[in-house]
Amino acid sequence: MSALLEVRNIAKSYGAIQALQDVNLKILRGKITVLLGPSGSGKTTLLRILAGLEKPSHGSILCDGEDIAEDSDLLRQKATMVFQKSVFFNAAVYKNVAYGLKVKGYSNSQIKDSVRKALQTVRLEGFENRRTRNLSGGEQQRVSIARALILERELLLLDEPTVNIDPRNVSIIEATILRVNRNQKMTIVLATHNMFQAEALSERVAILLEGTVRQVGTNQQIFGTSNKHLASVTRLDNVFSGVSRINKTGTSVIKVSENLRIEASFRKSGEATIYIKPEDIIVSAHPFTSSARNVFQGSIIEVSDLGSVMKLRVNAEKKFLVQITKRSFTEMGLNVGSTVFLTFKASSVQHV
Amino acid sequence: MKQQIGIVLIAIAIVVIVGGAWILITTQGKERLIVSTTTSLYETGLLDVLDAQFEAKHPTINVSFISQGTGLAIQTAMRGDADMILVHDVAREKAFLNGGYGVNRKIVAYNYFVIVGPDDDPASVEGLDPVNALLAIKAAGESGEALWVSRGDDSGTHAKEKRLWIMGGENTSLLRETSWYLEAGTGMTTTLNLADEKRAYTLCDLGSYLNNYVLGNIDLEIVVEAGRDTLNVYGVIACDPRNEGLSHVKFDSAMKFIEFLVSDDVQEIFAEFGISAFGQPLFNPAVEVLETDVNPTTASWIREQAFIEGSECPLEKRYEAGDLTFLNITFIFQSIWRESRS
Amino acid sequence: MTNIILDGIVKAFQLLLSLDPTLYSIVLRSLYVSGLATAMATLWSLPIAAILGLKNFPGKRFIRASFNAFLGVPTVVLGLILFLLLSRSGPLGMFGLLFTPLAISIGQAILITPIIVSFITSAIEAIDVELRDLARTLGSTEIQSSIAILREAFGGVTLALIAAFNRAFAELGVAMMLGGNIHGLTRLLTTAIALETARGEIAFSIALGVILVIIVYTFSIILNYLRRN
Repeated sequence: MSALLEVRNIAKSYGAIQALQDVNLKILRGKITVLLGPSGSGKTTLLRILAGLEKPSHGSILCDGEDIAEDSDLLRQKATMVFQKSVFFNAAVYKNVAYGLKVKGYSNSQIKDSVRKALQTVRLEGFENRRTRNLSGGEQQRVSIARALILERELLLLDEPTVNIDPRNVSIIEATILRVNRNQKMTIVLATHNMFQAEALSERVAILLEGTVRQVGTNQQIFGTSNKHLASVTRLDNVFSGVSRINKTGTSVIKVSENLRIEASFRKSGEATIYIKPEDIIVSAHPFTSSARNVFQGSIIEVSDLGSVMKLRVNAEKKFLVQITKRSFTEMGLNVGSTVFLTFKASSVQHV
Repeated sequence: MKQQIGIVLIAIAIVVIVGGAWILITTQGKERLIVSTTTSLYETGLLDVLDAQFEAKHPTINVSFISQGTGLAIQTAMRGDADMILVHDVAREKAFLNGGYGVNRKIVAYNYFVIVGPDDDPASVEGLDPVNALLAIKAAGESGEALWVSRGDDSGTHAKEKRLWIMGGENTSLLRETSWYLEAGTGMTTTLNLADEKRAYTLCDLGSYLNNYVLGNIDLEIVVEAGRDTLNVYGVIACDPRNEGLSHVKFDSAMKFIEFLVSDDVQEIFAEFGISAFGQPLFNPAVEVLETDVNPTTASWIREQAFIEGSECPLEKRYEAGDLTFLNITFIFQSIWRESRS
Repeated sequence: MTNIILDGIVKAFQLLLSLDPTLYSIVLRSLYVSGLATAMATLWSLPIAAILGLKNFPGKRFIRASFNAFLGVPTVVLGLILFLLLSRSGPLGMFGLLFTPLAISIGQAILITPIIVSFITSAIEAIDVELRDLARTLGSTEIQSSIAILREAFGGVTLALIAAFNRAFAELGVAMMLGGNIHGLTRLLTTAIALETARGEIAFSIALGVILVIIVYTFSIILNYLRRN
């Protein structure tokens, strides 16, 4: 499989801040490559460099053996990017989607046809005359994707396309990504901090941590075995630090923030970092009586649909990653913004 | 929505284009003659009448009046921004000629200044001559019984007022420091309104007074009538094209306008303008008075006050005047004139 | 006094209905002069505002602050400076522009440049910064993406142009000093008001003032209405 682009020794700094250093990555033709990493790991910066929106401070981008890192115009001919935050022109959906062809000087009839097809791809048939501003966040993001697809670029760059979006739209977007890759053989680079999304969509994965690529491999290589780099990505979820104190009953209470105290069954005093597995956290719509020592109220800020299981990100003073079956999720009528209670045992809290 | 705004913008564009075209058409191929003149003359509306008459006679010339105080009006011409001046301040007209800025001065009209004041006349100036009236107003002012408003704007009227004070032995720069002497620093109408509000006395040309009185803007009455000391003479001077800074002036058109002003028809307009509105003319034509002896007293006052070196226009300041003739004081008059000067 | 004001208002409508050619020529001329001024000022202010709003460069803050500072420049001061420049004895005297409609337009254009630049720059800065990246990643050239942003700032641009036109249309100092209030050539609504007041024709002045306000108000209302929709 040939590489569409090859990133070599890319570095990018903003003043004293080093966003990327020594990044090496091959983007294979026709594959979905996922950049997996926590926020702040440099995913967006790398995508922006690939999109020709920013120039690397150092390094090269090879295309057919030629370095095109400095040629942002050429990069923009090859790739187009969908931003995390949906940005749009204050106009109807039609004008938004048509924009790229309009600036290229296509005829109106060509544009009309292409817009219709692109909207079909993201399942927004008939949305042409709707005002983009009045659409939901998920629909706006689908408009953004249609607007990128209409250009038929070789490379589609997606930056966290499903953050803060309701689950129905998330699944439409994910399905669209897979369909476009399969049917049009479009090369896609998708940045996400969501491990489950990475696992579901990727053929190749690059784990990005603190501005460097720690590991690159196939989906199998990354997710098939236990993997210390993946653990370090995962560990950023549900990992908290605070001062631990042993109380009278012999358990420890870790003060993670002013209002968040987590009880753990281990005995430790002083600074402690703890980890709770997402599977160990019970999600409920109402508090219930149990022997579990830790009950926190929070609201859902992100939902990932993984087929039978939903992954939720819940803000309860700190951000927790939890998992719930799709059935329960539907039965409880949950969505982004819903209030939920998180319950877990003291023995589920691991000392790292 | 954007289309609608587009329509409005197009409408504006049409107005701009049509307006521009219309301005172009109305001034196309015309030579623009700029006459720098005084506010008191302009504000009467007489010049608009003359403008229409002149342009009917000379369709290729477009007359533009710039009206300012006499001081500023003369400066505008000295800077080269006008082709001729039509003002009423002999001393500065003389300076203009002698500075090399102007030629071919003609006296075209005259009228009188009057002193106006509240109808109860607190300073009891009624019947006095202008200089004594001013002194009486000063005395009343010092005892807190009267106020005086001066134009204070370096206009011809202001110059006349200062001359009257000087004739009475007063120093105007000292007067401005007193509390009964107010400086308006503005045009005649505003000054009249100020005097009216303050129930004060002021010096005013008859035209402006009648205009505002008839319009009902003021209740002030004339307390000192026209006389020798309040004579107000309007002179016209063409800018001298030989002056390096004025080489661009439209001398020929300016001369046509001077000839026009002294022509019989226009002199007749001077004599009639204002009669229908005010029951009396605002200006008096000067040409006939000077050339014949229909009104020898007035003629002698004009010669005495408004001639420069014994003439309407000194010999060395005449230049390509064509058919225009300039009046001189005859030998006998000249000797009288010299006597009165010494 | 109230009588005079009422007289003036009645006279204003009589004048408007009388189709007095002198009045309409003054109104048309005022629209033309200020329209031309707005067009000229837009010609140079739009690129300046686009650069100030879209680019970052050293000294930008200073330039922005300068334009803001000149928002309130007194018209007579500007008029005086331009008068001295355009006068025959001034450095630009050879063009013979003083006391022409074009001179007023130029003066007004300079007067309203800070308004247009400041308003449009602010409007552009209020547009999402990522919009530029969006346009670029969708294949726009630099100029096309700048145009895209200006289009997004359309509301702010129209507002700036209305405000600028109204300021030009209603100002007196520049029109008086550079135009000279010449009958049939440079007499505008504002200078006519000044003259009629000086002539003591207060009612006529008020009539002209009413017409001036009606025009300014109508313009603002129409364009505001369109902008909101």
